[in-house]
Amino acid sequence: VGAPQMPVSPPMPGNQDNLSQQFGQMNIQAQPQAPVQMAAPHMNQLFPSDLISQPFQVSELDLPPPPINLPPNTSVTPSQFANCPPKYVRSTLNSVPTTHNLLKKAKLPFALVINPYTSLHDNEDPVPVCTDQVISRCRRCRSYINPFVTFLDHGHRWRCNMCNLANDVPQAFDWDAATQQSTDRWQRSELNYSVVEFVAPQEYMVRPPQALTYIFLMDVSFNAVTSGLLATSARCILESLDLIPNVDRRTRLAFVAVDSSLHYFSIPQDGSEAADPKMLVVSDLDEPFLPTPEDLVVNLFDCRQNIESFLDKLQSMFKDTQNTACAMGSALRAGLRLVQTTGGKMTVLSATLPNIGYGKLENREDKKLLGTSKEGSLLQPANSFYKSFAVECSKQQVSIDMFLFSSQYQDVATLSNLPRYTGGQTWFYPGWNAARSEDAIKFAKEFSSYLSAEIGLEAVLRVRATTGLRMNAFYGNFFNRSSDLCAFPAFPRDQTFVVEVAIDETIAKPIVCMQTAVLHTTCNGERRIRVLTLALPTTESLSSVYASADQQAITAYFSHKAVERTLGSGLEAARDALQSKVIEILQTYRKELAGGNMGGGGLQLPANLRGLPVLFLGLMKNVGLRKSAQIPSDLRSAALCLLSTLPLPLLMQYIYPRLYSLHDMPDNAGIPDPETSEIVLPPPNNLSSERLAPYGLYLLDDGQTQFLWLGRDAIPALTLDVFGSEDKSLVRQGKTMLPELENEFNERVRAIVEKSKDQRAKGVGSIVIPPLYVVREDGEPSLKLWAQTLLVEDRADQGVSVQQFMGLLREKVVQ
Amino acid sequence: MDYDSLKDQWSQIEERDGIRLSWNTFPSSRMEASRLVVPIGALYTPLKEKTDTPLLTYEPVSCKAPCRAVLNPFCQVDMRARLWICPFCLQRNSLPPHYKDISQDTIPPELHPNSTTIEYRLGRPAPSPPIFLFVVDTCQEDDSLKALKDSIIMALSLLPSYALVGLITYGTMAQVHEIGYTECAKSFVFRGSKDYTSKQVQEMLGLTAAGLRPGVQPQPGRAPPPTGPAARFLLPVQNAEFQLTNALEQLQKDPWPVANDKRALRCTGVALSVAVGLLESSFQNAGGRIMLFTGGPATEGPGMVVGPELREPIRSHHDIDRDNIKYYKKALKFYEHLAKRTAHNGHVIDIFAGCLDQVGLLEMKGLANNTGGHMILTDSFTSSMYKQSFMRIFDKDENDNLLMGFNASLEVLTTKELKVTGLIGHAVSMNKKSASVGETECGIGNTCSWKMCGIDPAASYGIYFEMASQPGPNQMQQGPQKGHIQFLTYYQHSEGQYHLRVTTVARNLSGPSGDPAIAQSFDQEASAVLMSRIAVFKAEVDDGPDVLRWVDRMLIRLCSRFAEYRKDDPSSFRLERNFTLYPQFMFHLRRSQFLQVFNNSPDETAFYRHVLNHEDVSNSLIMIQPTLDAYKIDQEEAEAVLLDSTSIQPDTILLLDTFFHILIFHGETIAAWRKEGYQEQDDYANFRELLERPKEDAKSLIQDRFPLPRFIVCDAGGSQARFLLSKLNPSTTHTTGSYGGVSQSAQTIFTDDVSLQTFMDHLMKLAVSGTG
Ligand SMILES: [Zn+2]
Ligand SMILES: [Zn+2]
Repeated sequence: VGAPQMPVSPPMPGNQDNLSQQFGQMNIQAQPQAPVQMAAPHMNQLFPSDLISQPFQVSELDLPPPPINLPPNTSVTPSQFANCPPKYVRSTLNSVPTTHNLLKKAKLPFALVINPYTSLHDNEDPVPVCTDQVISRCRRCRSYINPFVTFLDHGHRWRCNMCNLANDVPQAFDWDAATQQSTDRWQRSELNYSVVEFVAPQEYMVRPPQALTYIFLMDVSFNAVTSGLLATSARCILESLDLIPNVDRRTRLAFVAVDSSLHYFSIPQDGSEAADPKMLVVSDLDEPFLPTPEDLVVNLFDCRQNIESFLDKLQSMFKDTQNTACAMGSALRAGLRLVQTTGGKMTVLSATLPNIGYGKLENREDKKLLGTSKEGSLLQPANSFYKSFAVECSKQQVSIDMFLFSSQYQDVATLSNLPRYTGGQTWFYPGWNAARSEDAIKFAKEFSSYLSAEIGLEAVLRVRATTGLRMNAFYGNFFNRSSDLCAFPAFPRDQTFVVEVAIDETIAKPIVCMQTAVLHTTCNGERRIRVLTLALPTTESLSSVYASADQQAITAYFSHKAVERTLGSGLEAARDALQSKVIEILQTYRKELAGGNMGGGGLQLPANLRGLPVLFLGLMKNVGLRKSAQIPSDLRSAALCLLSTLPLPLLMQYIYPRLYSLHDMPDNAGIPDPETSEIVLPPPNNLSSERLAPYGLYLLDDGQTQFLWLGRDAIPALTLDVFGSEDKSLVRQGKTMLPELENEFNERVRAIVEKSKDQRAKGVGSIVIPPLYVVREDGEPSLKLWAQTLLVEDRADQGVSVQQFMGLLREKVVQ
Repeated sequence: MDYDSLKDQWSQIEERDGIRLSWNTFPSSRMEASRLVVPIGALYTPLKEKTDTPLLTYEPVSCKAPCRAVLNPFCQVDMRARLWICPFCLQRNSLPPHYKDISQDTIPPELHPNSTTIEYRLGRPAPSPPIFLFVVDTCQEDDSLKALKDSIIMALSLLPSYALVGLITYGTMAQVHEIGYTECAKSFVFRGSKDYTSKQVQEMLGLTAAGLRPGVQPQPGRAPPPTGPAARFLLPVQNAEFQLTNALEQLQKDPWPVANDKRALRCTGVALSVAVGLLESSFQNAGGRIMLFTGGPATEGPGMVVGPELREPIRSHHDIDRDNIKYYKKALKFYEHLAKRTAHNGHVIDIFAGCLDQVGLLEMKGLANNTGGHMILTDSFTSSMYKQSFMRIFDKDENDNLLMGFNASLEVLTTKELKVTGLIGHAVSMNKKSASVGETECGIGNTCSWKMCGIDPAASYGIYFEMASQPGPNQMQQGPQKGHIQFLTYYQHSEGQYHLRVTTVARNLSGPSGDPAIAQSFDQEASAVLMSRIAVFKAEVDDGPDVLRWVDRMLIRLCSRFAEYRKDDPSSFRLERNFTLYPQFMFHLRRSQFLQVFNNSPDETAFYRHVLNHEDVSNSLIMIQPTLDAYKIDQEEAEAVLLDSTSIQPDTILLLDTFFHILIFHGETIAAWRKEGYQEQDDYANFRELLERPKEDAKSLIQDRFPLPRFIVCDAGGSQARFLLSKLNPSTTHTTGSYGGVSQSAQTIFTDDVSLQTFMDHLMKLAVSGTG
C-alpha cells in the first residue's frame, strides 16, 4: 500500500485567532483607512475528488472550512476581524443560494452552528466590550449595528444590512461621556469586530441583575453515600468555593440533601451566635414546601466559614444511612421554590433513580427491547413531569444541570429533559465510585471546572438575518420561548446550538448577514449582549454552493437532526435518514455537478465534502445511534445528549475519534513544540484495525474516553517503558492512570495522553476530562470490544466497514 | 346513728377507700331505687394516696373467669378447706398453694377487715419507661417563650432519669426534633395546613420499621429504652438532656412573618396529630404524656378555631348558641377524633394555655377529658400560676416516684342486685360487657370497664348504679343483706411496674319498702357532687335551660319525696338535717359557671368543667358553693359566713375561695384604713395582723391546690370586686327594695338572679304541691 495522497486543499485563511495581534492592530490604526478597493471576489472552486480511489484521510478533518469570500468593501472598516470566525459561528454553506429552489436543488442543509463562547472563562478568550452603553440598533428589525452596515448622510445615518432601513446614528456614538471628548467612530469595536459584547443599559433589564445562585440538590441515599458521591461532591464544593464566580460578593448557595425526605440546611451567617447549620427535614413529598422563611439560600461571602464547616460535616451527617429512596423530583420542585424569585442554577448530584415522590420513575430498562424497533421508547421520557417542570423552570429563570452516577438504571432519557429545556447539561458517570481514585479525581476536576465556569444568567438568544432569510428551526438545550427566541436561564459555555435557515425570498444582494445576539447577565451582575455577525456571499451557482459547503457543520446539523429523529421515530429511522441523506447528496453531486459521468470508483464529492460519508458513518456508528442490542439505554441517552450539545471540534472527535500510534511516533511528538510550547501530537490515523500493528501501542480518544491500546505482541521493552513492567500480563487493565516512570518514552506517552485531553487547545470550553482505559489486545475481551467500537471504519457488531459502506453508497448512487 | 356520727363514718371511709356514696344503704328493689331521685352513685378516687397499708408485692388471688373478682375482706373463707366463696358470683375458689398456712390468726393482708382498699404491685412490667413529649408553640413573644422554655428545662430535672423525652415545636409549621441526632440540630418539618394521617406521620418520620420489639426481656422492674427508629425522637432524659436543653435554648419565635392585621399562623392541630402519630407507632399502650403548651388559638390547618384575620373574633358562647360559627364543628370533630385515637393508644394529652385570649380549649377539651390529661388555663407562661401548677405535675411520692399513673383501667364488679350504669370523669369506655352492666346509661355507660390513660392521686370519678330488676335472693349471707361493689384499677406505676388497686365496698340493703335507713344514709355532699357531674354531662350535649329545668325538677322531686310537709302547705315544709344543705348546693350549682356559661368564655367553661370532673367531694363542693370567711378586728378566728351579699360589711375582710379564685376583699372602712397606711404604724399592729390573717389562710388554701388558683386582692368598690359579687347570693338586689330584715350596710347586687330565699320559697311551694 502506497502512502496516502493528500487531496488538493483549498487555500488556507490567515491566522484569525491571535488576540494580541488584534489589539495591536487597533493601536496602530489610529486613523481610519478609507476602504481599499479590493480585488474581485474570489469564488471557491469545485475540486472534484474520487472517494474510492482516493480514500478519505482523517487529517482532512483538521482542514479549515471553505473560506468565506466576501466582495470588496463589504465592511465599513477594513478590519480583518470584521467577519465572524468559524470557532464562533459556522455556516453549513459559506456561499448562500439566492433562492429557495437552488437550496432545494442542492439537497444540502442551510444552517448555522453557533458557539457563542469558546471557553469557560472570559479571560481565556476575551472579546471586545463596548462599555459606553451606546447601543445603536435598527429601528425596524432590531439588529445591532455591525461592520456590515453602511453609513449615509455624511455619517449621520446608517443603513441596516439586514432590512435596509436607514437609521439615525445616535449622537453619543462619537462622544465619550466619560472623558467628555469626541471620539473616533472608526475605532468603535462594533464596527471593527464581528464578535463584540455590549454593556446593556437599564432598558435591557426586566429586573435588576440577579445574584448568581446555586442550589445543590445532593443525593444522600444509600447509593450516593456508599459510592462516595456525597463525600466527594461536598469536599469538591468546599475546595472550589474560591472558584465559584463571586466578584460582586453576591453569589448565593443552598444545599438540599435528598433521600426519601428533603433535608434543608439553615446555615447561619459568620459571626452569629450559632455557627452550626440546622437541618430541617421535610418528608411531605406531595407538596414540597420550604420549612422556614429564612437562611436556606445563603450568601457565599457572608457565610463562608459556616458553609465550610457545613460542607465538612455533610458526609458524616448521612454516613449511617440505609435509605435507598431518592425523591429527586420533589427536591427539584423544592429547589425551584428556593430560587424562583431570583432564578439561578440547580445542580443535581445523584446516584439513584428518582424512585419516590414527584416525577417518580421506574426501572423500565428491558434488555429484550434493546436492538429492536421498540428500543426508541426507552429513549423517550417516561413521564411528562420532567419536561413540563423544565419549562416551568425556564420561565422562572432556573437552569438545571444533572450529574448522574448510578451504577444501575437511572433513566437518563427522562432526567436529561431537565437540562435540555433549561440550558443545562447532563453529565453521566456510569458505575462511578470514589473508591477508584481515577473516578474521584475525574469527577472532582470536572465538577471544580463546572463550578468555576462564568455562566450567563437570564439569557436569551436570537438570530436576525438579511431580509429573505428566516430562522426556521432551533436545536440545542434551551426553551423556544417564542418562534425565534431561545431562552436560557443560565447560558452554558460548553455547548453549541444549531439554527436552520430558510430562504423565503429571492436574495438580490451579493452578501447576506446573520446576527446572533445573546442577551444575558454576567455572573458579576452586569447585563450584556454578545453579538456575533456573520456575513456570507450569495451565489446562483450550485457549484459554488457545493464548493463552499462545510462538511463538519453539515455533520453537526445532521447530528442534531438524528437525535431529534431518534427521540421522535426511533433509532432505525434516524440511521436510515442519515444514510438516505448522504446518498442524496452524492446523487445530487453526480447528477448536477459531475454531469452524471464519473470515472474511477464512480463515487465523487468535492474535496471540501470528502469526509461526509465517513462522518455520517461515524455518526451512525456512534454509541448513541448504532444498531446494537448491547447498549444500555442510559448510555445511549447520555450519548444523545452529547450529540446534541457538543461544540463542533468535540463533536467531530466524538463521531470520528482520534487514533494516535505511539510506539512509532515521530521524534517531535510528545514533547513541546519549540515555538508554541504546546505538546505535539502524533499525526492521527484512520479508525481502522488495519492500522493497529500487533506489536504497537495506540491512543484512541473520542473526547469522552481514552483507550491506550497495547498490541498482543508488544515487546517487553515497550511495556517496561510505558507501564513499568516487562510482563504484559501485569499491566493493569481498565480505568487507570499511567505510572510516572523515569524514561523519556513514558513521559512522552503521558504528555500525549494529557494533551489529547486538553479541550482548551481545541478551542472550546468544556469541563470533560476523558478517563483513560488501558486495553490489552490479548486481555479483557469486553474492554477490547468496547475500544473497537470506536474504530468506525471497521466492520463490527451490526455495523458495516467503511469499504462496505462505500460499496453500498456506490450501488445506490450509480443505479 | 345520728347524722354527725354518720358523717364521721363516711369521712373515715373516704379517708380509707377514697369513696363517697350518695346513698349508704342500698334500696332493696328497683322500685324503691327509682323513688330515690338522686341515683345511687359513688365518687371514687382510685389512687388516693395511702400510706398506711402495705403495698402487696405478690399477684392477687382472683375468682374464676369471667368474674375475676379479687379476694377481699368480704369473702367467706373456709380456712380448713382453703376455699373462698366469691361474694360477686358465689363461686367457690380454692386458695393457691402458698396460702396453705392461713389460719384465723394469720390471715393475708388482703383479708384483713381494714383492707377494703389494697394495692398490689404486679409482676407485669410496663412496656416502656414513661414518656414525656413536649409540644411547644413558638408563636409567642420572646419573654413568654423564654419562661416556657425555662419551665420545660426545669421539668427535665424533675423527671426520673430513665423517663423518655421528646420535643415538637410548632407555629406556621410543626417540627419534630430528632434529639437523638448529634451531628447538628435536626428536625422534621410538617406543613401546618395539612391533615396528616397516622401512617403519613410515621412514614415521614421514618418510623415504619419495627418499633418496640415484643418478647424482649426487660431489666427487672424497668422497661428498656426503645431501640426502634422512634428512639431517635424519644430518649431517656439521662441521654438526651443536653441535646434537648440545647434544642430548647435555641428555640426562636416562629420565623414566618405575621402582618399587622393577622394572627400568627399556629398549626396546633397538626402539631398534636404528629405528636399522637409519633407515639402511636412505637409506643402503643406504653404510658406517656403529650404536653401541649399553647400560646394562642390554632389559626391554620385542621383543628383551627379562628381564622388568621384579626378582625375576625374568636367564637363566644353566643356565637355557638346562634350556630354562627365557622370552624367550631370541624375543629371539634378533628380533636374528638384525635382524642379517641390518643385514648385508644393509651396516651395522655395535657393542655397548658398561656394566653390572655382563648386558645380553643372548648374544641380541644376532649383531648384532656378523654385521656385524663391536665388542663391549665393561664394568662401567660410567665405567670406564677402557670409555673407552679406545671411543676406540681411532677410531684413525687416518698419513694421518689412521680405521682402519676398511666394507662389505667377501672373495672367495676357488683353483686347481682346492683348494676353499674356509667361513669362521669376523665375516661373512655372499654366497652366491656358483664353481668354488672345495667340497662340504663348514666354518663359513659354500657360497660363495666373504663380506660384512664392518665390518672393521678386526686383523680376522682363519678360512678353510677341502678338496682337490678330481678335481683333474686342472696342466699349466702347471714344477717342483714349487703350489696357489694369492687373497683379494680390496673395502672402503670411511674416506677415501671403495673399496679392493681382494689377497693371493695359493702353496704346494707334496705328492708322492706319504706325503710327509713335509706333516707338516713343520704350523703348530701356526695349527692350534690354526683348530681353536678350529671348536670354538667347533660350540659355538654343539651341546651342550658333544659339542664336547669332538670336540676330544678330533680330537686323538687327529692324534696317531695324526703321532706316532711302537709300537702299544699309550704309553711309546713321541713327537711332532715342530712338534706338541709342540698337545696343550697343546687341553688349555687344553678348559678355556677358550670351551668351559667354566658359570663365566661367557652374556653373557661371547658376548663371549669374539666376541673370539676377531676376533683373529689370537698373540692367539688367549693367549686359549686364557694366558701366565704369573714375577718374582723376584734375576732381571733375567721368566721365562716353566708355566701350572701349581707356578708359584705365595711369593717370586715372577706376571704372567698371558689377553688379557681382566691379573693381577699377589704370592706369599705378596712380599705380606707389600708389606704391611709395604718398597718405600717406600730400603734395599729392589730390592724396589720388583721390584714395578714386572710393572706396566711389563703396561702394554706393554695398549698395543695391544683391548678393553682388565681389570687385576687381587692377593695370594696374596686373593679376586681365583681368576682366576689358574682358569687354571692343576691339577697339584696336592686329589686328587693329596702324592707325586710337586711342590714342597710349590706352590698346591693345588681342582678336579675333570684335570691336563695326566693328560690327556697318556690321550691317549698312546688315540693308540697306534689307537681314535681
Ligand atoms: Zn434592520
Ligand atoms: Zn366471682
